[in-house]
Amino acid sequence: MSKDSTAVAEAQTEKAGKLRAEADLDMLKILVDSVREYAIIMLDPKGQLVSWSPAAERLKGYTAEEIIGKHISVFCTAEDKASGKTERELETATREGRFEDEGWRVRKDGTKFWANVVVTALRDVNGTLRGFGNVTRDLSQRRESEERIKRQAKEILEMATVIVQVWDGIILVPLIGMLDSDRTQQLMERLLQRLTETNSPVALIDITGVPTIDTQTAQHLIETIKAVRYIGSEVVLTGVRPAIAQTLVHLGIDLSGATTRSSLTAGLRVAFEIINIHVARESAHGAAVGK
Amino acid sequence: MNEGIAVLKVRDVLLVTMPADPDDATVSALQSRTLDAMEQHDVKALILDLSKVEILDSYFARTVAETARMVTLMGGETLIAGMRPSVAITATELNVTLGATRTVLTVDRALDLAGNLSRNKSVRKGRPWL
Repeated sequence: MSKDSTAVAEAQTEKAGKLRAEADLDMLKILVDSVREYAIIMLDPKGQLVSWSPAAERLKGYTAEEIIGKHISVFCTAEDKASGKTERELETATREGRFEDEGWRVRKDGTKFWANVVVTALRDVNGTLRGFGNVTRDLSQRRESEERIKRQAKEILEMATVIVQVWDGIILVPLIGMLDSDRTQQLMERLLQRLTETNSPVALIDITGVPTIDTQTAQHLIETIKAVRYIGSEVVLTGVRPAIAQTLVHLGIDLSGATTRSSLTAGLRVAFEIINIHVARESAHGAAVGK
Repeated sequence: MNEGIAVLKVRDVLLVTMPADPDDATVSALQSRTLDAMEQHDVKALILDLSKVEILDSYFARTVAETARMVTLMGGETLIAGMRPSVAITATELNVTLGATRTVLTVDRALDLAGNLSRNKSVRKGRPWL
């Protein structure tokens, strides 16, 4: 083979390689442009935008002409800009190769969206920083559904904790389900409020509907009992089933701050005694008396 | 400084009312003024009215608990009246122990209770007006 033909062959191979590389780049561009859920953009080492994509335009509202050359911080909230968060993001990405954040970002029209942002440092074979890749995902909907779930959980909590006045001076709280910290805190606040509003000396807390008691649950109960005592009322704890009584003793839990009874009926009797009410069955003929 | 505390003797009860947000000086004045009044007047019970109190700190909480114990030593019974829910929650967080000190919802109830107390005490027998 002559020198010339070798050169031609090399040139052809090179050309083919370039073509393939260009085709690959085209494919990559098509991929970047067609991904709808992620706004994939590139930044130069200073953090200025060098590429834009349809998804980014849809998400953030800017056109490519408007935004290319601007600094990435245009998407940040005023607070983040003031605190230098954007600079820190790029610094972290430069140092560690990657930075991920979840937080508020701002659209062109000034509205905010909750975003997941991944910044990746792009380095060439020599290790020189060429820029950054920035992938932003709109999580507003996910955040909204999370908030809705939280809100609903709170509503369920409220529904699960009914506080009723059963007698002048007696408030009844039938507890159903597990008692966690949030629920107990809320229960305590509402119960204390109700006791002071109605000027009630007795809070009947019925735990028949509480499946099990662990140390933490018991601790929450003890706190409630104490707080009720501070405001000047007292707790009568009812629904202490055999299993619950066993657990309480085995766990070494001291509920001496409250009167405890196994049934609500017995508890109600205690409550009546506390408020000085005497309940007696009226005998229709007087015959039953003394029998 | 200590004007916030009202110390009143009502029949055989000492009624001490605390201001909304007492400073440390007011809190220490609470103890000394209460104990002095206990010494001066022959009373059976101290009603500590906390219904105005909005903020409870550990010093205040400790002073209240201590004062109650001191009053017991001097032969009186302490009734804490009208603690607000928010204050009660703080007290739970501070882990305030009240021991034998009784608590009541309102001063009104405290007075009822104090009335019963003195009637039950046999010491009062010799007094013609009871």
